[in-house]
Amino acid sequence: MPLETPARLVSELASRGYNAEREAVTLLADASDPNVALDRALETIPEDTLVLSADHVRTALESEHDADGGRSGNETRPADTTNPADTDPSVSTGTGPTSSTDSGGSTPVETEGSSTARSVRSSDPDQRSIEVHNDMTGQSTGTGEYSDFVSVFRDRYEKLSKQLRGRVNHRPTNALERMSGGEEAAIVGMVSDIRSTASGHWLIELEDTNGTFPCLVMKDRAIADLVQELLYDEVIAVDGTLADDGGILFVDSLHFPDIPRTHDPSTADRPVQAALISDVHVGSQEFMADAWHRFADWLHTEEAANVEYLLLAGDMVEGVGVYPDQDDELDVVDIYEQYERFSEYLKEIPGDIEIRMIPGNHDAVRLAEPQPAFDEELRDIMTAHDAQVHSNPALVTIEGVTVLMYHGVSLDEVIAELPDEKASYDEPHKAMYQLLKKRHVAPQYGGHTRLAPEDRDYLVMEEVPDVFHTGHVHKLGWGKYHNVLAINSGCWQAQTDFQKSVNIDPDAGFAPILDLDTLDMTVRKFV
Amino acid sequence: MREVDERYFDRLESQLDDAFEVAQAAKRRGGDPVPEVEIPTARDMADRVENILGIDGVAERVRELEGEMSREEAALELVSDFVEGEVGDYDSKAGKVEGAVRTAVALLTEGVVAAPIEGIDRVEILENDDGTEFVNVYYAGPIRSAGGTAQALSVLVADYARALLGIEEYEARDEEINRYAEEIELYDKETGLQYSPKEKESKFIAEHMPIMLDGEATGDEEVSGFRDLERVDTNSARGGMCLVAAEGIALKAPKIQRYTRNLEEVDWPWLQDLIDGTIGKDGDEDGEEDAADEGDDGDEDEGDETSTSEDDGPPRADPSTKFLRDLIAGRPVFSHPSEPGGFRLRYGRARNHGNATAGVHPATMHLVDDFLATGTQIKTERPGKAAGVVPVDTIEGPTVKLANGDVRRVDDPAEAIEVRNGVEKVLDLGEYLVNYGEFVENNHPLVPASYTVEWWRQEFDDAGGDVQALQDDVHVDLADPTAEEALRWATDYDAPLHPKYTYCWHDVTVDAVGALAAAVEDAERAETDGAVAPTPSPDRGTDGDLVLPNREPVAQTLEHLLVEHTQREDTIVVPDWEPLVRTLGFDAALEREWSLGDLSEHARTYADGDNAIEAINEIAPFRLRERAPTRIGNRMGRPEKSEERELSPAVHTLFPIDEAGGAQRSVADATKHAEKMNDQQGLVEVEVGRRRCRDCGTETFRGRCPDCNGVTDAVYVCPDCDSEVEPDESGRAECAHCETMAYPTQYEAIDLGEEFRDALGAVGERETAFDIVKGVEGLTSKEKIPEPMEKGILRAKHDVSAFKDGTVRYDMTDLPVTAVRASELDVSVDQLRGLGYEADIHGDPLRHEDQLVELRVQDVVLSDGAAEHMLQTAAFVDDLLEQYYGLDRFYELDDREDLVGELVFGMAPHTSAATVGRVVGFTSAAVGYAHPYFHAAKRRNCFHPESRLWYEDEAGDWQYGPIADLVEERLDDPREDDFGTLVEELDGEVTVPSVDADGRPCRKPVEAVSKHHAPDHMVRIEVGDRSLRVTPDHTMLRRSGDGLEEAPASELSAGDELPAYDGGETTVMTASDAPQPSAGADDGVPFDEVVSVEYVDSDTNHVYCLTVADTHRVAIEGTYSGQCDGDEDCVMLLMDGLLNFSKTFLPNQRGGRMDAPLVMSSRIDPSEIDDEAHNMDIMREYPREFYEATREMADPEDVEDVMTIAEETLGTDHEYTGFDHTHDTTDIALGPDLSAYKTLGSMTDKMDAQLDLSRTLRAVDETDVAERIIEYHFLPDLIGNLRAFSRQEVRCLDCGEKYRRMPLTGDCRECGGRVNLTVHEGSVNKYIDTATMVAEEFDCREYTKQRLEILDKSIKRVFENDKNKQSGIADFM
Repeated sequence: MPLETPARLVSELASRGYNAEREAVTLLADASDPNVALDRALETIPEDTLVLSADHVRTALESEHDADGGRSGNETRPADTTNPADTDPSVSTGTGPTSSTDSGGSTPVETEGSSTARSVRSSDPDQRSIEVHNDMTGQSTGTGEYSDFVSVFRDRYEKLSKQLRGRVNHRPTNALERMSGGEEAAIVGMVSDIRSTASGHWLIELEDTNGTFPCLVMKDRAIADLVQELLYDEVIAVDGTLADDGGILFVDSLHFPDIPRTHDPSTADRPVQAALISDVHVGSQEFMADAWHRFADWLHTEEAANVEYLLLAGDMVEGVGVYPDQDDELDVVDIYEQYERFSEYLKEIPGDIEIRMIPGNHDAVRLAEPQPAFDEELRDIMTAHDAQVHSNPALVTIEGVTVLMYHGVSLDEVIAELPDEKASYDEPHKAMYQLLKKRHVAPQYGGHTRLAPEDRDYLVMEEVPDVFHTGHVHKLGWGKYHNVLAINSGCWQAQTDFQKSVNIDPDAGFAPILDLDTLDMTVRKFV
Repeated sequence: MREVDERYFDRLESQLDDAFEVAQAAKRRGGDPVPEVEIPTARDMADRVENILGIDGVAERVRELEGEMSREEAALELVSDFVEGEVGDYDSKAGKVEGAVRTAVALLTEGVVAAPIEGIDRVEILENDDGTEFVNVYYAGPIRSAGGTAQALSVLVADYARALLGIEEYEARDEEINRYAEEIELYDKETGLQYSPKEKESKFIAEHMPIMLDGEATGDEEVSGFRDLERVDTNSARGGMCLVAAEGIALKAPKIQRYTRNLEEVDWPWLQDLIDGTIGKDGDEDGEEDAADEGDDGDEDEGDETSTSEDDGPPRADPSTKFLRDLIAGRPVFSHPSEPGGFRLRYGRARNHGNATAGVHPATMHLVDDFLATGTQIKTERPGKAAGVVPVDTIEGPTVKLANGDVRRVDDPAEAIEVRNGVEKVLDLGEYLVNYGEFVENNHPLVPASYTVEWWRQEFDDAGGDVQALQDDVHVDLADPTAEEALRWATDYDAPLHPKYTYCWHDVTVDAVGALAAAVEDAERAETDGAVAPTPSPDRGTDGDLVLPNREPVAQTLEHLLVEHTQREDTIVVPDWEPLVRTLGFDAALEREWSLGDLSEHARTYADGDNAIEAINEIAPFRLRERAPTRIGNRMGRPEKSEERELSPAVHTLFPIDEAGGAQRSVADATKHAEKMNDQQGLVEVEVGRRRCRDCGTETFRGRCPDCNGVTDAVYVCPDCDSEVEPDESGRAECAHCETMAYPTQYEAIDLGEEFRDALGAVGERETAFDIVKGVEGLTSKEKIPEPMEKGILRAKHDVSAFKDGTVRYDMTDLPVTAVRASELDVSVDQLRGLGYEADIHGDPLRHEDQLVELRVQDVVLSDGAAEHMLQTAAFVDDLLEQYYGLDRFYELDDREDLVGELVFGMAPHTSAATVGRVVGFTSAAVGYAHPYFHAAKRRNCFHPESRLWYEDEAGDWQYGPIADLVEERLDDPREDDFGTLVEELDGEVTVPSVDADGRPCRKPVEAVSKHHAPDHMVRIEVGDRSLRVTPDHTMLRRSGDGLEEAPASELSAGDELPAYDGGETTVMTASDAPQPSAGADDGVPFDEVVSVEYVDSDTNHVYCLTVADTHRVAIEGTYSGQCDGDEDCVMLLMDGLLNFSKTFLPNQRGGRMDAPLVMSSRIDPSEIDDEAHNMDIMREYPREFYEATREMADPEDVEDVMTIAEETLGTDHEYTGFDHTHDTTDIALGPDLSAYKTLGSMTDKMDAQLDLSRTLRAVDETDVAERIIEYHFLPDLIGNLRAFSRQEVRCLDCGEKYRRMPLTGDCRECGGRVNLTVHEGSVNKYIDTATMVAEEFDCREYTKQRLEILDKSIKRVFENDKNKQSGIADFM
């Protein structure tokens, strides 16, 4: 089915003067012939109906009478709709919410029940395009064997060493052993160990498919600082001089796979926007429903007319058993009900917005990365809308703009391992720069991040994304690294007791809006 | 002191002196490194301080000062003695300060911990920027064991000494101040401090501190700023310094201030600012509390013990669920918090009862499926957190409902065993004896007392009843009157009804009482056989049973009231029913004159009508008290323990044989070992001491000169310039030229064959006398002096093995006992009289075996196993004296009764002081009973609760999870010792990967698991990329040559190689119990390098341990290590300790001196022991005021006037006597000898038994038990394993090389061998089915089920191929 069907249906409905529940649109879109279904639905509904509900559609589709089913739905408060506060991306977060203003006459007043979908989006659905790569859902072939792990790392080495081979003249480690002292040499290798020597120099053990070779970075060299940025199991290249006895390489320069400085991001051909959010945490007592309502309402306004895509980088729900005694802090204890609620909240989003999501560490999928999308059971709960869930990470290309979506568990580790000035919770995008530089979303193995072995390393950034979108750390931060826009998108969960205890003040209730044609960012505040 | 006590101690001491003389003579003759006995005798604390410090004259001065001032003041007073050179022999200023500081710490820690020696590395005099001198105190991690006050005072002492010596104050540089702040924060983050000073506080302290606090690096985490400072050696956190600054100075500022005020020379005005302004309160309190209470820290509100006011309901303590936390599979819950049907609190102290013990009826022990045995520890709701179970049969037993409908109380253990199979429900667990002192110790408000005969007797007496006359009347048993008597007393006097006929009215509702009364109206009286009498008999007597119609809810009401009866299909037959119906307001003709409507509003609505006590008091013609208002919830902790202590592998001689002896470390094998074909057999190069004879100058590695038997001294040689270096007074030998440390050791090729033959010849033994003599791979002591091999040969002959210090030890969990009878100790009255026991507790001459005598403070009761082991040791010692030292045999024991009267050393782990004890008898319980005073304060040695390990549970399933789970799950019916350690013995169905003496992996059953109070600090060892947290003297294994040696965790250092466990391939993970037969000695385990070792603050209240059969080693966190030693108190045979202990054998690392008898106390001074023992009450009867105060829920102090605790006799003539008890027990070893936890096999068996039991016990909510098992055992295991899987390391199957990450080559980079995972699918998903099943069966919460469901899916999604699914039936359902 063409992806643009829902959007087209919505604009069709709008053109005929109807709003529609998101679910209704989905049902129509799922019908064998959406246009026929739509016509039939409109024929069967009562005359005074303004909003096409799912029930109407069902009734129409089943061609039988049905009582007016109670629609679940969340009351929205149009009057509360807050105008975006921080429209200037350079202004940091933290300013108070501006007073609410009228969000514009174009919003239908009759927002009773589920969100309505009289489209403010006038664009031609045909112009939309979305492609997804690197989605491993349903592609998991790993069975937890040793060989699976080896495959992953070999694949990582292969892919990343390709990026580096051009820059240095790689000699296999076993060949280096045979070279005589004093010669110039270079290695592309995976970092297998980093130690500081007694005299304060750095000893990096690099590994290729033949073995390992020790490389020494003298502490007084400028590149010594780069050692601080290294994580285990990333792939780098070094060149330098072999020691006299040939047993060690003195490093002169050190290279990361990195994003080429020349990277020229693609953009959309038209003024269209995407909202990049994450960490909704429905089910948590701290979930900020009001902020969400305001966000959803805003999406119905004229101001949001260009927002045609919504990307959600994981943690849709709070989950169960994520930490000990979590049940005490849950608003919704049942995991399935959490997803049902989430689904309800999603319905508030205008039906003609294309939604793409990936799971996070709170979601009910395996925690080991890459994380496949939900299984059938959870998908069934969320069939009410057409939001697509992909694996974490996934590469989503929207009208030419490639967005790498990754939940961001590895950010914790990057922030912990690297010096504050290179990565901190206050500037999560800087930690993301590191990942971009390493061209891998979670290089370090064996620590914080969990790895599920697959036939290849889905976590490598083989292709340079135009936008790198993560969440997880609940902090808002964005910036450009070699023309790649890195954005960590805050959350929709107020400060939890745990966060309070570790002094993390989350940036909650923000929705970064990305102009796909210019890759400019606007942060909207809904608190 | 009474004359009799004086005689007792004189006798002990003269016995000790005799042994000492023999040992001295032996030591002079033999080849021991030191020609005299190395355990100095200390009569008191002053002696201990002197001995532990090794500074002459301290003891004398301490004794002088002790009477005049507090210890803190004495410590300061001693400073001037040191400075003036009156005490100690120090020339340098630094030495004087050092001596004073060490002495202060020793004094404040009573000379029992190693902190003064090991916690203070050295004192240096350094230069300020202006060229003046200042004092630098260099602290080490073990300073932790000194505690905050001693830490803080050590600084003050150093400053005082500084002032007296005229040294200037330390002027901290700015970067140093900042460094302190950063470092303390880093240490707090890494390790955690009890008190976390704010940055400005740290800076403030650093800025004003008049001496420099320094120390060795204890962590590998480095500070990011302020690195490479000139005056700070390391970039890592200096743990000792951080502790002293934060927990010492910052936390104890008010305390220090008290002392600075008295010192003119020392002025710390800045303390006031610290106290007033900047100290945050929050951290402070938390820390204190955590340290003080051993329980699980937590979110549950423990605080409010007080109850609602009288009007709303009865006085009750609030239920506390804390003890249920961390419930693990296999250790049953006996009662949910304050649940009716649970243990009924009874106040009193049995003779085998003290603090942290709980008296339980032996019938209960049997009826909880033997999960409780003497010494099993239970975690309890109140007043403490944990208690060791002791059998007391003078309290009420459990009430059970049998399958045949009988409901009866079982007061006889034999009957309990008889009816056990027919028990349908345990309606009540019986009484639970807790002494008043336990409430004092825990500062827990009193809780309402059960109505017992002790109380009733006093009330009856006060009401005018002639108790004395009745007591003298042979026809009346005041404790067990007839119904007629009880009713008469109740009506004739204004005293409540006798407790025997007082039922648990407070456990039934008013409506239930109404229903019961209605049933009684319809009742008939029957003949005794239960047949209904056709017509009511005309006389109004109470012959015959009462037959009630069996209708709802009458049977249940009777059950809850604990009325003995029999339930039939239609009827309920109640014998001895008159008190019941009279209580219900009926006359003997079963007529009543009341109805529920007549009851007052108050009675009907009391406690919302759920408590009928007020109602029944309105109905009954006499007063009734609440029978059992307080129920105590509890669950099993750890099982009991009694076993010999062995190093692993067991060691017979501390003689190094490198790897020549194979994994078995066999000396005989080593004599035949040759590296290459042409090498001389048995010539092995080992690192031994470089020594020179004082007399003839002969160079040797031995402690004594082989030529003239003169004493040899270590020769230190600089490794760089090969010149000899004289060690300075603190024993540091630094080469003056090269500034490197000189070594007292060298590698030397030793002909083991010759050594072995000579040794055999010297003691006149042949190789056939023993199976195997095991040596050590290498020596860990500083000077590496080998023990004479002869000793090992004789040890092997008698099958005893040596501990690291050369002694032979036996571990037992302690229980207190204050009075014993000959019959239960398996000794005769004559023997007791021979030991000086002349009179029984009543002062009557001792004639019969069942007379109770008061136990002397240093007399100990050995478990059967300990006695057997002592006999073997005695035989070894005799042979040693005769065949090695050429002296007469000393013991000549034929059987164990000869052991009675012999002296032993008792030692608590982590201490460095032994106490002399005397064997008085034996017990079949697997514990060591001794006087509570004998049991000194203890610290324990264990694994951090989160340490994970592999084990095969009782069901044969392999599990991977935190040790806390493994242990807790099996603490079904643990014994608790006097110190709150829970021990549970397993009967070997849980097996763990272990490594045998030969360094070969094998699997061994777990004999016991234990849970201990955590010490203040633990050691964190980073190995590879894992870390392991253990208590500092936990025995770890490390590589030495190609074998393994043992070393305390605190002695490990970076670079040591620890044997690694790869989780599945070096051991057989299938269900075979046999050790994996290995092809050759090469098939040893792989090794991992230690990255760092550091002291960390305990962040838990408990640590856990396992006892592993045979090898006493276990793989945990991927590393093989010793199990916890020092786990229990140990005993050593006196002469063995005197002859064989030598400090020179002790490992040369931090903590090496812990657990070694550096000094012995020949007599216990009750004032110097842990205060805990002083809180024990020593009364024969608790007064009525006490019982009444319990209903007010008074604080224990409020009744201290009417109570007597041991503290009151301190310092009096009666300090060693008069330990009265309120309850006797027939035998101190009643009930099962071993807990079912130890006798049941697999984990699953235990868990099944636990769940079964939870269904049988009325007071237990089985769903909650199942929930908790899943929550605390299964889920963490599943989650942990799944996590572990996705970040595991791998290991080469061939060479054992371990990799943090899979090598890109696929194969082993070292040997090209096959590499494999260390965590496999099987270990990840092994619990999921069981857990899911339990969740279903016990109807657990959706939340729990969903968590399991999600985990199950997660596991599948990791291990299943989406494109090639292994489909099973489940997939289609």
